[in-house]
Amino acid sequence: MIQGNMNDDAIPGLPEDDSPLWKRVLKHTAILFSLLGVWEFLTAFGFADPLLFPRPSAIFGSFMPLYVTRGIVWEHLWVTMSTVLAGFVVGTLLGIFLAVLAGLSETIHRYMKPYVIILEATPRIAIGPLMLAWLGFGFGAKLAIVTLVCFFAPFINTLTAILSANPAQVELMRSLGASKWQTLTKTIVPDAMPMIMAGIRMAMASALGGALVAEFISSNTGMAVLLKNLAAMLNMSSAFATLLSLTVIGYVLYAMMEGIERRVIFWQNDAGLRRVSAQRKRLWEARA
Amino acid sequence: MNGEDTTSKRGSGVAAQLTDLVFLRRIFTHFGIFSAFIGVWEWAGRTGRLNDLIMPAPSAIAEALWRLYVVTGQIYWHFFVTFFEAVVGFFIGGAIGMGLAIAAALSLTFRRYIAPYAVALNVTPGIAVTPIFIAWFGFGWSSKIALAALIVFFPIFVNTLSGLLRTDRDTAELFRSLGASKARTFFKLMVPNAAPMIFAGLKIAMTSALVGAIVAEFASATEGIGILMQRFSHRLDIASSIAVLLSMALMGLFLFVIMEKADRQVVFWKHQDRLDAVSRNRRRRWLSAATKELART
Repeated sequence: MIQGNMNDDAIPGLPEDDSPLWKRVLKHTAILFSLLGVWEFLTAFGFADPLLFPRPSAIFGSFMPLYVTRGIVWEHLWVTMSTVLAGFVVGTLLGIFLAVLAGLSETIHRYMKPYVIILEATPRIAIGPLMLAWLGFGFGAKLAIVTLVCFFAPFINTLTAILSANPAQVELMRSLGASKWQTLTKTIVPDAMPMIMAGIRMAMASALGGALVAEFISSNTGMAVLLKNLAAMLNMSSAFATLLSLTVIGYVLYAMMEGIERRVIFWQNDAGLRRVSAQRKRLWEARA
Repeated sequence: MNGEDTTSKRGSGVAAQLTDLVFLRRIFTHFGIFSAFIGVWEWAGRTGRLNDLIMPAPSAIAEALWRLYVVTGQIYWHFFVTFFEAVVGFFIGGAIGMGLAIAAALSLTFRRYIAPYAVALNVTPGIAVTPIFIAWFGFGWSSKIALAALIVFFPIFVNTLSGLLRTDRDTAELFRSLGASKARTFFKLMVPNAAPMIFAGLKIAMTSALVGAIVAEFASATEGIGILMQRFSHRLDIASSIAVLLSMALMGLFLFVIMEKADRQVVFWKHQDRLDAVSRNRRRRWLSAATKELART
């Protein structure tokens, strides 16, 4: 029942568009602006309550005070980002480490399994209030929540990947007289890498959400608190601007993980493969 | 994984007895480890090595469960509220996600122009929308349903879309050359082909719907299992809090099992035992129809 997940979060079936770039950009912006135009029109003429559905122009206008004139967003942004990154690093490393440990020992794996399944079924974020009671209001509780949220995807994917290592390859390494450590680092881990990276990417995707939940329930700074306060004051245009900022942050994190993934598992895309082979050839030639 | 392999391979004769023995011993060891763990925990709690406020003893948690389920019975209503929110949100978000995915699968243009919005929705943490939903829909159930629907949308959308797009080109060609209509091709070829992937998406979505409902309750609610737990932990009644957490795990497991069952019902051809059962049924139905036909002529 422990199953790794390689669930892809990219939109499938998008072949390269042959039309020139400016045409594509123009079409997309035209659609976006007509949507925004309809929205603007609906609120301007009273079909939708501007208190609840702020006009697009008002939303874009409120970026200015948030980021520049009053600059209130920076402090919150810093708090949230440091929680996200710290929790992500701790949770991912812990997950991979424990999975390698469990994957190498059949016994540990067997007796750990039921607990992992139970923990899998528990909504992780729900442990938030408990963490809060244990660790108090502050960075510790938030870090623990994000760590917990980030732990599982890398753990399960690493474990699955290690357990599904090709026995023939392991056998070959053994018959060539490789040590256990060499077998691990030279065949099992590289083989497991795509799956591990998928887990890490999923952890990154949930880290931001985890940090926001932690802030909802405990904190007085952070993007979630800012958003909550703005929405509670019915300052909806600023709330939407904050939400859009979170979208951008989410996208940046996502793109970052994609970039890292392309570098680490370079053999899964042509450009990376070519780059690394050229590099290795150069190195080898220089040595020769 | 190994344990399941040996049990599923149980045949007859000596081998079966042996695996039965191994199986029994394994269960026994699991049980032993579990009770040893609980025992040490209980002992540490009793002797004051563990702070009650931090980690109450198992007996205290059991007592809290007893109180919640039997003495006061206050958990049932909260349980129902959260369950309802998650399931209704799941259906709404799932319907929208599948509808848009079908449209996107059938038209490349639509797919191209909806893609950026779907990506933007995916990278936005759905949880962040909670305060806005609360402002829109109020503090009641509807804001939680909306959040569950929002969170559910993306996995269902992406899985349905990639399932539908994975249609085998040769089979589609065969359908076309046999003169199947577009609707027929869709329902008889594309949908069954996509069903395993769609169900994988639905399974992921169901658990996240529950998380969505619970998190939205954390943000603001008066009833529901999330707010119940938060109240207990604010009161530092950690034993009850853990009891509620266990109930949440149970509800998650329950929803997952339901989805698993539905998967086996609908995508029966992916599970050998179900495939056998369905073919047996169909054969029986066909045979009885045939005999009736024979009797009439």
